[in-house]
Amino acid sequence: MVSPSLLVAIPLASAFAAPLVGLGSKKLAKCIPPLALAANLVIGLLLLPRVLEKAIVVSIGGFPPPFCINLMVGPLGLSLAILISLVGLLISIYATGYIKTEPTEKYHALFLLLATGALGIVLTGDIFNLFVFFEILCVASYGLTAYEKDRAGTEAAMKYLIQGTVGSTFILVAIGFLYGLFGTLNMADIATKVPSAEPLHLFLILAFFVVGFGVEAAIFPLNAWLPDAHSSAPSSVSAILSAIAIKTGVYAIARITYTLMNAQGFLIFISLIGIITLVVGEIAAYRQKDDIKRMLAYSSIGQIGLIVFAIGIGTSLGVFGALFQLVNHALAKCLLFLAAGYMIYRAGSKKLSDMQGLARRMPLTAVAFTVAAFSLVGLPPFAGFMSKLSIVSAALKTGRSAYVAFAAIALAATVVEGGYFFRVVQGLYFRGGSKGESVGPTKAKEAPAAALIPILVLAALVIAIGVYPQLVTNVLDHAAKELLDRGAYITNVLEAL
Amino acid sequence: MQQVANYMYYAGGGGLILIGLYMVMAKTNLVKIILGLSFLDTGTHVLLVAIGYVRGRTAPIFSEGMAETTPVVDPVPQAMVLTAIVIGVGVLGLALALAIQVYRHYGTLDVRNIRGLKW
Amino acid sequence: MRKAVAFMLVVVVGAGFCAVLANIPFGEDKVNVANRYMRNGVRETGAANIVTSVVVAYRGFDTLGEVTVLFIVAVAVGAVLPPGKKPAGEEKEEASLIVRTGSKVLFPFIVLLGAYIFLHGHLTPGGGFQGGAVIASGFLLLYLAWPGQPVGRKAFSAVESLSGLAFVAVGILGIVYGVGFLGNFLPLGARNSLLSAGVIPIIYVAIGLKVGAELAGVVGHLMERE
Repeated sequence: MVSPSLLVAIPLASAFAAPLVGLGSKKLAKCIPPLALAANLVIGLLLLPRVLEKAIVVSIGGFPPPFCINLMVGPLGLSLAILISLVGLLISIYATGYIKTEPTEKYHALFLLLATGALGIVLTGDIFNLFVFFEILCVASYGLTAYEKDRAGTEAAMKYLIQGTVGSTFILVAIGFLYGLFGTLNMADIATKVPSAEPLHLFLILAFFVVGFGVEAAIFPLNAWLPDAHSSAPSSVSAILSAIAIKTGVYAIARITYTLMNAQGFLIFISLIGIITLVVGEIAAYRQKDDIKRMLAYSSIGQIGLIVFAIGIGTSLGVFGALFQLVNHALAKCLLFLAAGYMIYRAGSKKLSDMQGLARRMPLTAVAFTVAAFSLVGLPPFAGFMSKLSIVSAALKTGRSAYVAFAAIALAATVVEGGYFFRVVQGLYFRGGSKGESVGPTKAKEAPAAALIPILVLAALVIAIGVYPQLVTNVLDHAAKELLDRGAYITNVLEAL
Repeated sequence: MQQVANYMYYAGGGGLILIGLYMVMAKTNLVKIILGLSFLDTGTHVLLVAIGYVRGRTAPIFSEGMAETTPVVDPVPQAMVLTAIVIGVGVLGLALALAIQVYRHYGTLDVRNIRGLKW
Repeated sequence: MRKAVAFMLVVVVGAGFCAVLANIPFGEDKVNVANRYMRNGVRETGAANIVTSVVVAYRGFDTLGEVTVLFIVAVAVGAVLPPGKKPAGEEKEEASLIVRTGSKVLFPFIVLLGAYIFLHGHLTPGGGFQGGAVIASGFLLLYLAWPGQPVGRKAFSAVESLSGLAFVAVGILGIVYGVGFLGNFLPLGARNSLLSAGVIPIIYVAIGLKVGAELAGVVGHLMERE
């Protein structure tokens, strides 16, 4: 019987060990992240059947909750942990070949620590512990964004740090207020005491939390840092940031809104913020012609808006759609950034116009890019189709006119999204027609094996989930129900020992 | 008067947070912005410790000779602040390192001129 | 324009603070979960300093996270600043004789004070972080006295990693001994004696060394520039 605390302890210990190993052999240090995350993936999958029946509560330190910090490993937490481990594993394999700037063992340590932070966020049951792991995630991402030490990366990291720290301050103040009102930091304990407080105070505290976590989740208007950070970071870092880091912000907001505060009345505002973010993100992405990574970053903002909109729908189908879209976006956007990394490297520039006809020279990469792009837009038979369908039908099923309007706007935004992705795919496969000479790169060749393996695995997953959604829908359904079922959460934790 | 004295610590902590927020948003020198981050941190810590205070009680350390039933203040906000101070110092250190690197690339610390990345 | 927006935002946030703080009376007894820590803390963890027992025993996971944040900062500062090449022809100013002599005399005492603070963390105010910060200030003094000679960069990195691994190892030993991750498995000992409180002194020694090495390393990196 494996303890779920290993899910956090293994990447953490590996991160501590990476610089030590790097002192001896840099090549060996490269292998540590894939090994650690592979171990995590295996442990997560082993625990999954048990957790689907009944959530595991692990108390750290041996005292009963709420007098200690506890891990609450339910279907939601474990499925996200498995996603983080899987995506992290694939990106770390890609990074063994992609990251060449010294000091590489520090990159690998920071990467593992980012994964540790994300894993801690989704598995913990204590609000201050959530903050600490959130800080781990954020500080690691500041360091990784500035890793290339170039002009753009350093500036982007500085802006990210400043905005992220202001957000963290709001979170800490909100935690202080929660403690002052209720005297406890355990999430289940707070959830039992919340009905006794005044709604105004709860609303203010919730607002502080949403602003604080919203900086990381990149909801409008707190997303000014994201286009710079995700486009200036090295591509493997952009991939993990877009796929995992911003999702943890959304998870935190969802957990606090549903489980902690049961703020049913607030959900409509969350959906509104989501829709605004979606529209802003997609329109801004459409306007990007010069920088493929910036376009992908704005697309991430848009997709987060869609996920946040779906979280605000409040029904089991809506939350299921949100989680499904989260998984699909993580896989697809990770794939897009990884592919773009080598496309930029081989083409020698970030401009879309310089990548015309690249598909001839990098056939596998281009196919994978296309698969991911179509999945995000929501075309069958790729994974994105089912998730968008679930979200839209959940919104329509609520019958409330606001949600129906939002769903219409979401569909319109999907058309815009299709516009810019088709433009890229068309550019990859068909050269600029009217010019007689060949444009675009003539020296490019296919990406190396270390990069191709994760890219192709991700593409295969996107197709597999599209054709057989049953692979993940059962787990995500349990996860959605867990988020909505406050009572079960509370009894699971407080009667654990 | 008693009322004012009651909320003095909250006002101090909250005031520092608000000053820090203003500095981060309105100042244009990078070092002043980082200083604003430091104000935000300090204000939050003062606020947290003030929330944990209970009138008439002493520090939560049971040294020689103190009975175990002596009333003490709440130790949890103090533990939270310990953690928060360390995290804050860490972030500040990273911020200063990044500021050094930004100065290297741009030659200026004026945020209005550090705009290599367009919208 | 920017200042006006900033001012309005500050007013709004301030109003929010006032609204919530009005309901958190200052100085009243609103202690809830912490009652158990205060009443049973000494008996359950063996430490006389209840804040220490909360930080290391009851909420040890947070401390592990905090130690990790400092580690991230130390690694990130090393990764973000390119390896220093001093501009050619730049003469470092030598520190004055007073500073150099004084730091030679003071350094061992500063390290001793830091070590005292983290060794006695469970008995007196202080602990791993405070002791580590004092030790780092001793190294800062050395850097100021002899600029341009970073002391033992690799040694700091090794100490950081090893103490971090030691902390996690103590946690995993807890699993092995059946008390859960970061559970206490050593005897609690007599109250108020140095060798008491189970694993708390061990964890604090690891933290003290780690924090000292990390902060000294960060300062060294920052000073390596001009």
